[in-house]
Amino acid sequence: MAANWAERISAFSRSPSRFLSGTTAEDFLAELLRELRDDRASFGAKVLLLSPLCEHPSLLCPSAAVGEETAMELMSVLAQCPPKSVQFRCQLLVALTAVLVCASCVATRSRASQDFLDLLLQLVQDTGDLRGDDGLRSPRAAACDCLRELEACSPGLLAQRLELLGGLRQRETSRLHQAYAGLHALVLRNAVYRLARDTGAGGEQLKALLGGNAWVAWEAELDSGPVDDGDCSAALSSLALGPMGTVPTLQTGPDCKELRSVLSSLLEESYLLTPLCQAALLHRLTEVVAMVPGVPPAVFRAQLLRLLGTSEVCLLHATLLLKCAFTDSLFSAEDEAFLLQRLVVLAQHPLLSAPEKLFHVDCLLHFPENRPIGCGADGDEAPPVLLTPRLASALAPTVFDDGATGLARLNLLSLVYLEEAEGGEGEESRGLAYLYEHVGTLLRVVASGGGRELVVTAFRAVFLFLFYFCHVERYCRSLTEELCQLYLRHAHLAPHAINLADRVQEKLAESDWAVGFLRALQGVITMAPPTSLTWRGLGYHLKALARVAEEGAITQHRTVRFLSGVIAAPPRSPCAGGAWRLGNGLLAVCRRLLVHPGLDSLFIPLADVLQHLSRCYGDTDIQDHARLYYTLLTTLSREKLAGVLAADGGRRVKKRSLSCIVGESEGLASALTVHRTEKSLIGLTEVRSAPPAAEAGELRQSGTFPTEARAALEEYRAQFDDPGFASQVAIDYRLTHIDGDDDPRFDQLFSIRLHFGLTDAHYEELADVSVPRLLRGRAAAEVTLRLKPRRPRPTTLHASAIFTAEDGLSWFTVLPQVHVAFQQAFAPLPAPRAWGRGGGPVLFEALWGEMSAEDQEDCATSLFCCQAKEGPLSALVAEHFLPFLVSDRSDEDEFKVLIFLPPRAHVLLRIRPGEPAQFHIATDDWRLLSHLNSYLLTITSSRGDAPP
Amino acid sequence: MSVRALWIISHEKGEHVSMRFTRRFATVEHRAKSLAGSSYVAVPEDYSVLQLLLAELGLSDSDKCYVALRDDCLHRQRSPAVELCVDGPGKGILWPVLAISQGPLTLACLPIVDAPAEPRPPLASLLSVSQGLTLLAGLQTFLLGSGGKPDNEGLASRLAMLPSLLLQVCPLGTPLDVPISGAPATSAVPTPAGSQKQPFWKTGLHRGRAVVNVALKETVRSMQYGKRSRQDLWDVYGTVTCKCEVEGVLPNVTVTLTLPPNGSPLQDILVHPCVTSLDSSILTASSVDNCDGSAFSGPYKFPFSPPLEPFRLCSYTSPVPVPPILGSYQLREEGNQLCVSVTLKLHESVKNCFEYCEAHMPFFNRDQMGVVEVKVSSGQMDVSKEKNLVVWGLGQKFPKSREVSMEGKISFPGPTPGPTDPICTELTAYIKLYFKVPDMTLSGCCVDQHSVQVYSSAKPRIITSRELQSKEYFIWNSSGTAPVSSGQMML
Repeated sequence: MAANWAERISAFSRSPSRFLSGTTAEDFLAELLRELRDDRASFGAKVLLLSPLCEHPSLLCPSAAVGEETAMELMSVLAQCPPKSVQFRCQLLVALTAVLVCASCVATRSRASQDFLDLLLQLVQDTGDLRGDDGLRSPRAAACDCLRELEACSPGLLAQRLELLGGLRQRETSRLHQAYAGLHALVLRNAVYRLARDTGAGGEQLKALLGGNAWVAWEAELDSGPVDDGDCSAALSSLALGPMGTVPTLQTGPDCKELRSVLSSLLEESYLLTPLCQAALLHRLTEVVAMVPGVPPAVFRAQLLRLLGTSEVCLLHATLLLKCAFTDSLFSAEDEAFLLQRLVVLAQHPLLSAPEKLFHVDCLLHFPENRPIGCGADGDEAPPVLLTPRLASALAPTVFDDGATGLARLNLLSLVYLEEAEGGEGEESRGLAYLYEHVGTLLRVVASGGGRELVVTAFRAVFLFLFYFCHVERYCRSLTEELCQLYLRHAHLAPHAINLADRVQEKLAESDWAVGFLRALQGVITMAPPTSLTWRGLGYHLKALARVAEEGAITQHRTVRFLSGVIAAPPRSPCAGGAWRLGNGLLAVCRRLLVHPGLDSLFIPLADVLQHLSRCYGDTDIQDHARLYYTLLTTLSREKLAGVLAADGGRRVKKRSLSCIVGESEGLASALTVHRTEKSLIGLTEVRSAPPAAEAGELRQSGTFPTEARAALEEYRAQFDDPGFASQVAIDYRLTHIDGDDDPRFDQLFSIRLHFGLTDAHYEELADVSVPRLLRGRAAAEVTLRLKPRRPRPTTLHASAIFTAEDGLSWFTVLPQVHVAFQQAFAPLPAPRAWGRGGGPVLFEALWGEMSAEDQEDCATSLFCCQAKEGPLSALVAEHFLPFLVSDRSDEDEFKVLIFLPPRAHVLLRIRPGEPAQFHIATDDWRLLSHLNSYLLTITSSRGDAPP
Repeated sequence: MSVRALWIISHEKGEHVSMRFTRRFATVEHRAKSLAGSSYVAVPEDYSVLQLLLAELGLSDSDKCYVALRDDCLHRQRSPAVELCVDGPGKGILWPVLAISQGPLTLACLPIVDAPAEPRPPLASLLSVSQGLTLLAGLQTFLLGSGGKPDNEGLASRLAMLPSLLLQVCPLGTPLDVPISGAPATSAVPTPAGSQKQPFWKTGLHRGRAVVNVALKETVRSMQYGKRSRQDLWDVYGTVTCKCEVEGVLPNVTVTLTLPPNGSPLQDILVHPCVTSLDSSILTASSVDNCDGSAFSGPYKFPFSPPLEPFRLCSYTSPVPVPPILGSYQLREEGNQLCVSVTLKLHESVKNCFEYCEAHMPFFNRDQMGVVEVKVSSGQMDVSKEKNLVVWGLGQKFPKSREVSMEGKISFPGPTPGPTDPICTELTAYIKLYFKVPDMTLSGCCVDQHSVQVYSSAKPRIITSRELQSKEYFIWNSSGTAPVSSGQMML
């Protein structure tokens, strides 16, 4: 049981949506609650059961009503829980908080939430609980935390209890004091916020609030029901945003004795808290003082020295936020300089972790200056004025830095040097030179075989450098050279180089560095000796050249020359598949050249390249596409060519024309993928066409034929020397949409290719059948299946289709199976045409005689009888055997039927009326008898005649 | 000041990835929702978080050399916080996701943004970010120990302890504390009720004889190029670790650091939060600022009230004028072998009494070593089993001259190629020194046993120690290209 629960709980938390698809939230919740009430389950196991309620309460309690009910249940579980299972009780309080908050019960001050609040308040006042120090968490501390969370989620909830909470905090001497302090500070902050926002509130109200008389003035307002969302979110937001932030203020006058004493007592004892709680407390108090101008920020001064020397990242951060809120009213210029130095030191301190150092670099970029110049929009990175190049040089990036650190430092120093460069010439060049050297070193490390991470870092560094210094031509030029040299050695960096060019172009619209870089790249690729080309390298070169060809400003003669050279002497192919890929690479370049503004001057060489490809390339697909391009190039005017190709020449994925698929095959995965339909869309139904009687009728009534049986047989059999003779059965089908599928995407299907698969070995493989289109609501498409039997037997065929839908995507769908009945393999006698109708009876007799002979292997005769009157019998013959009838229809004494079953089998019937009617059967393949029997049974019984 | 969710992932270089632990804080999520309003982006389920996080940290698709999502040069990987682009129904950007990695473990959390979401506030304005970082670092230390990496079983058992641990340190998404590292004093007892308030970070009270242990450790780093064009660099930082077993709820202890008469002032002093007060002059000296001669040079008094477990009382850096060991390394190619010439000089101020001293001379991007014809003036020479590293063991003492040298030739005919390194190509090579000197500091800083004051009834036992050790102590081949832009270290 327990193990099962552990598994289920972990399945739930791994993916709640998947878990709940197998059950309902309601059921799962009910099960959880039942198990929680079960006395047999251990409390250790029950703690686990609470985790879904703690982590995903809104999934399990989607409405306030369910939340309310669940909370009631949980509270009764809590009431029955023995005091010694401390951990379970604590976790239960946490779960209750989560449920009540997330089901909006707290916001609406529901009954359960009021009960829970009372319970918590009772717990926090229960000082008899001394279990707090035995390593486990005390329910009292947990209750404090829950109250704090409730207050955090519904600011103002506990405003009336401010005095009570303050008193509890002051009296508490155990470690739990921390929990009370956190709770007290938050409630104070929210209460002051409420007051400050209320126009007209002042010192008197504040005094009343702190004195515990709050409800006199406030009750009506605070209990007036749920606060609206906007209000709540404003109350939740941090208020230490500095002079630019909007902070509501409470006008109290200079005398705020009560508040001051509360603040200083909280601050004095802050030393007793963990750094995390100290930081949170400081932040809360910062907000309070920011709202009450009557309290000078100097209340914090006593703590400042301790904070400035701290090694804790969160305490220093709280100090920075303090500075952000009070600037020079708390921090002198020396303090500011000191704090800045501290940040520089901490941003590279060997004892700090990499993320902490990065955080300090970030703090430097958003340093809260006492006198900020300009009011730069939030989020803008700008180093403070005091961060001089000298000071910042301690943060110079080195090759030994990890990727993120190196980039952060490069970014910071770039900003510092940029600032300085704006200020005036001089020193600047040295710092910039250093940064350039750094970027160059990174590139050289990459050149010596740096791993993937180094490559990415180096390209990001190049981008950063260009981003800040693209105006310094000297460096940009040599950067281009360095990158080209690097590319020559490592062509696999092509995607990085292209990405760099793209981003620079995107972010630095005014700079033409990217074009220059691409031009240089074209240069090094096309100038490289062809002998140095490798198969893979060529692929990357083509990628790069394709990107170069997108630039109208770059002449493309070299590119075309390069292509010609490659085609003339391609590197040796490692595999046939590579040829297709390489061909596509070539075509991708050609495609972009086709829309290049300088096409006119490229016309002839490009046409030569395309023509050469279309004639000589080793891959038919590529040949075809090259031919298409060639045709487009030579027949369309430039405007039209641009119209055909340009629409999707860029990065946009448009209608997927064939040419587009080829040209962009590197990106258009979806166009190149065959999608699969979920269910069958189309199906084949047999056409009950008139039997091929007409064909028989075409035969001349009279003709010349051998009258002698042996000669007739010989002449007849001689025809089969031709291996393809009469070996096929053609069956007609109709291809239609299957009813019930109305997906409009598939209303119009094009280029349908039907594929059939065999289920046995009786037939030869079938050729695919193409149907040009199938439109819903229009005439069905005729499909003729040409079956080539090895043995004429009934069979079943698998059928599937690939088609193009209106959206231009290719689809694969499975059709319902196609059943081929025994009689569908029947064919009329392939007697020589010259014989006319008269040859049939002769051949019939000749075959009959042969098959009735004793010694014939595989031959057999049989008899089938059934009840049939004379009239219905002739109708039956007319209905089923007319095309195969060789005797005269008027001769009702005996119908002679000669059925040919490709490739070589025959079934001969002499049907004689009588009681019962007799079907004398002769065949040269006895294996057919069973099929024939069931066929005859079907046709005779369907006429209401009982079989014998 | 809270985190919305916490994830712990283990992986081996991007492979065998698994989510080892996750915790969502529903009430914080509720707050995040009402704070962000219409721009709220819900935290997706674990498997998508995992995928997105790995891609963002550059750990996904390690076999492909370029993946647009991962390798775009516009990516802001330089920030401690990453953003996850959530796709699908709850589309949007999840920010700021903090992640820290060590060895096989990556810990991540999503702090709440308690400021208007648009425009995106700077990280520095969100207190929850530093809180999140502190929480992650604390959990990392708890799971992996400080520095060491535990075996899989150890890790699994610690992960299993996390739920109950989190109930203590972060029950509702607001981090209250970090797991205590190091064992608390053995004889801790619960506190009786008293008038003195007990600090939260003091888990109990010590009973018994007072013992104060103060250990001062200095670490020296160096980059020596042996070139005129490049300045040699070195720096020294010290840490003072204490373990105090003292009776009382808030006992007062004072540790004083003193410098020799002409010692350079200690810089960049950082103190533990249990230090009760500080003289502002202690903090003024900084390594990144011009040091004026009039700077305060001690004694440095640190009054504090200790927690039960060992803790780092303070750390400092020191502007030592010379490196303890000055080296010169010359490596030249001659035919198909390398000529090596190394000298190491021990500075006279350094006590010639090592716990260990070794010089490691690795060779990258070459085949395995063959014959090593190298003579050393002192100590002994070893070649590693893999035949790509020469280890020169200098033992406990330099000779009287305080100078040792190595000369010789090494050839690389080995059948298999040795390790590669993108920085150490051709003649760019280094020697790395590993040494430890007990009972000395470079700065001269010391803790006098008699200067440790404990204000308690019983006379305490006081133990002090100091040592110097090296870290990242490199001597580069002066006849090869030094890896430039190695920048300034802390100076």
